[in-house]
Amino acid sequence: MNQPDRTPRFYFALLRLLAKWRGGDATRSEANSLEAWVAGVAIYGISYLFFAALIPAIVPLWGRLLLLLGVAVVTMLFWLLALYLNSLVIRLLRALGLCVSTPDRFIQSVLLAAAATAMACGLIERGGWRTELAAIWIVAVAMNLLAATILALSDGRRV
Amino acid sequence: MTKPVSRLGRFAVKGIIWRQYLDWAVVNLPFYFYPVPLLFFTLFFFFFAAPARRAVVANLMVVLPGSSRAMNYLRAYRTLYNFAWTISEAAIRRLVKPEFNYELIGAEWLEELGRAQGAIVLTAHMGNYDLGAALFAEKFQREIRIVRAPEPDQETARHLTASLTQAGEGAVKVEYNTAGAFLSFDLLKALRNGEIVSIQGDRVEGGVGETTGRLFGNDVRIPNGPFVLSLVAQAPIYPLFIARAGWRTYQVVVRAPIFVQNKGSREADIAAGVAQWCVVLEEIITLRWDQWFAFVPIFIP
Repeated sequence: MNQPDRTPRFYFALLRLLAKWRGGDATRSEANSLEAWVAGVAIYGISYLFFAALIPAIVPLWGRLLLLLGVAVVTMLFWLLALYLNSLVIRLLRALGLCVSTPDRFIQSVLLAAAATAMACGLIERGGWRTELAAIWIVAVAMNLLAATILALSDGRRV
Repeated sequence: MTKPVSRLGRFAVKGIIWRQYLDWAVVNLPFYFYPVPLLFFTLFFFFFAAPARRAVVANLMVVLPGSSRAMNYLRAYRTLYNFAWTISEAAIRRLVKPEFNYELIGAEWLEELGRAQGAIVLTAHMGNYDLGAALFAEKFQREIRIVRAPEPDQETARHLTASLTQAGEGAVKVEYNTAGAFLSFDLLKALRNGEIVSIQGDRVEGGVGETTGRLFGNDVRIPNGPFVLSLVAQAPIYPLFIARAGWRTYQVVVRAPIFVQNKGSREADIAAGVAQWCVVLEEIITLRWDQWFAFVPIFIP
């Protein structure tokens, strides 16, 4: 039985790179709940805003509030469907001999991040705080990709 | 008894489809994708698993006297949310095998249990009680027999048995308490052979023998099987609970063993053991009411 590990360890490359520069452990870990909550809520939030932006402006306020509640459920259903479709893409990749040794959830991670980033790009046009949130997401994804590249080049580990 | 169910029955709250979907999700979902869907699925079951929701609320009215019904509905949501996490993390541990952390409370009694030649682990429907058996088997390299209440769905029962066996890497044997007296004899034989038997002792299901205990000042029906076995085999009972303490972190709580001693009166001997068990159970439920997954009304009105 393992005693609780108090050393901060991370999943995302940007945080692992920062940990490495501070003398910490840069190996990938799924032990950080804060990372999970922030990334999970961010993906859900970006997609929720994307679908909410599709509600026509002519809908009255009460109708808009009801639809916003419905969008929360629709967004969840969208991701469940997306996960299933992604699993079919993964099967296709495997059939073609690609990503054979990569676990399904890592490939799903790439596909989910790509879908969320596409939605963030759609939100950029909306203006105001939604543009800022979308920009933060896109910058975070870009920095993470850069960090993954640096980690890969610096010690050859899998990222 | 488990019974075959219709195609539609697979989608019932205790149907196989949810277990299969969970297994699929564990293999497919990145670790950061769990928190939000679990909030939604909990909400789904909060509405559709109405008997379980009502039972949790009714139990909480006794466990937390003076609490309002509205607050207890929110607490019931929290309990179901914890249940969602524990079954998800049990599947994650079984299928993905990532690192999990454990804090031990009562390590000396766990060590004692590990060395015991014939002992009963008495646990409750609390936290990740199935994970506990697998951990025990892994730590002490010993076989353990788990006695479970029968599942209403045959396919779900098969899935759970396979899951527990897989999680325990062959060292966990699952028995369902449906075989009447034959199971009792099997368990007695196992105890006399020095094996460890794990039984859930916080609620009575099916036609198992029962006795009455006192919890939170109320009468409760407690299975008398563990106490009869302890008395006959003269095997100690170790109360053991596995509570979720955070992200992939569990607390293993072991309490001092209960000895059901033969003092001449079988009823009185068993009642003494049950009373000791109820004290431990009440203490644990007070601390961890949000992880007490007793989805049936426990207290006798």
